[in-house]
Amino acid sequence: MEEREKQKDVKAAIEIEGLTKTYGKSRGVEGISFTVEEGDIFGFLGPNGAGKSTTIRSMLGLLTFSEGTIKLLQMDSKKRQKQILRQVGYMPSEAFIYPSMKVKEVVRFAAQARKQDCAKEAERLCEILEVDREKKIGELSLGNRKKVSIICAMQHRPKLLILDEPTSGLDPLMQEAFFQLLLEYNAQGTTIFLSSHVLSEVKKYCRHAAIIKEGKLVGTDTIANLSKSNLRRVRIREKGQEKEFVHDGDIKELLSRLNQMALEDVLIEELPLEEIFMHYYE
Amino acid sequence: MTLLKHEIKMYGKTWIIWSMCIGICCFSCLLLFESLKESMEEIADMFSVMGGFSAALGMDKVSIGTITGFYATEVALIFALGGAMFAAMTGVSVLSKEEEGHTADFLHTLPLGRGHIVLWKYASVCLLCLLFSAATMIWILLGFFCMGEMPSVREFLLYHGAQLLLQLEIGSICFLISSICKKKQTGGALGFAVLLYMMELMCRVIPAMKGLKYVTPYYFANASDIFSQGRLNGEMALASIAVTVLSAAGAFVIYRQKDLS
Repeated sequence: MEEREKQKDVKAAIEIEGLTKTYGKSRGVEGISFTVEEGDIFGFLGPNGAGKSTTIRSMLGLLTFSEGTIKLLQMDSKKRQKQILRQVGYMPSEAFIYPSMKVKEVVRFAAQARKQDCAKEAERLCEILEVDREKKIGELSLGNRKKVSIICAMQHRPKLLILDEPTSGLDPLMQEAFFQLLLEYNAQGTTIFLSSHVLSEVKKYCRHAAIIKEGKLVGTDTIANLSKSNLRRVRIREKGQEKEFVHDGDIKELLSRLNQMALEDVLIEELPLEEIFMHYYE
Repeated sequence: MTLLKHEIKMYGKTWIIWSMCIGICCFSCLLLFESLKESMEEIADMFSVMGGFSAALGMDKVSIGTITGFYATEVALIFALGGAMFAAMTGVSVLSKEEEGHTADFLHTLPLGRGHIVLWKYASVCLLCLLFSAATMIWILLGFFCMGEMPSVREFLLYHGAQLLLQLEIGSICFLISSICKKKQTGGALGFAVLLYMMELMCRVIPAMKGLKYVTPYYFANASDIFSQGRLNGEMALASIAVTVLSAAGAFVIYRQKDLS
């Protein structure tokens, strides 16, 4: 009873219902629906061209969508976009920023656009991420541009952070520092939504995940539940020859199949999370 | 206001270079008058009766032998073309540069709102045209001053006011193009500014093409007409303002609906 009450109190930071976006005749996303609760760290997985960026860009108002509704922080994304963006931090995957501007100018510009004084937090983030504020954006590597993008997305301490492939281009030490920052912000109440190709990241830091494939959602659950599957790797030795296959389905079917073989040895094991996700991808 | 400052800063270098180049060109041409003065007086009468050629350059209305006439027929052309090209270049890139440079994601996810972004970007185009005119006018006035003869204030201001309207019209049409395109169409915009000038020449020389005067803003902002008549064609100026407003409104409507890549 208490648990149910507690669940009722948890509000949705992201609520997407039946999102459909097409580009002329080509596919974008179709009937996407999922919810991210406030305070969650949510992973959004899918192969290239699956529709991750289309979903994120629709959430942020960069794309107009034909069907469905998107609510961020309990506000309709079409009607209250400005109010939403005030409380959202977004980090695009490519981190393109005005090359002629200095880092400090970009960071200040982002803060001024939010009408906030974020100088203290910006300074702290610059120190943690080792960013030289005097350099021009055009002189920075992709990794350093990403760091500037992180600062712009986080300096105002947003309620919701949307990160599109945040760690690509960052060295391992910076990736670690970045995730520590995310955990710190999350502990203070920030909901984190990140799209990634790096399954180990999602497994390590996310509590929930959604998997998208060819524009459609194929699964949304806790990382633990997504890891639970009927997929089994079966290694057998039959007539002196070793074979291996992946079985997806009822375990009784597998046993009856094995029973018909002249087996000398058999090993049935669960698939690691990475391989389960690869199965979703395929 | 943050965005206006940002845009002015981004275009600062272009504005300085462009207004310096055009301003110095106009200034230098005005200084040339001193050495050309004697020969100009001799050929002024001949130039004024050269039919289509005289009409195209306005030499049938003002005398090339006076500093004001020389300015209206020769120097003003540099200012008109330079200003139109600057306005076209600025207008056509101000929105589309965000998509071409992939900075749209950064800008449009700040809590500014699309309407606000279009509005302030348009304001920056207008302000840049104004700043260009102001900076170039200083060079031109300096040229007149060096020649020891200042132009009539009324006609000078009327002409530069008309030129500002012309720049705003061309800048606004290019702003509309910028709201549609995903890449800066600078070459096309510069060509458009020159094409409109060619239209003015043709409509003055070829009677069958007289109708083009309603298409090109160079016609109502012609220096020889303004300096000789001392007035502006009000109807054409109003039409120019209408085109300017419609183009800006069209850009506003289109850009608010647009998918940004």
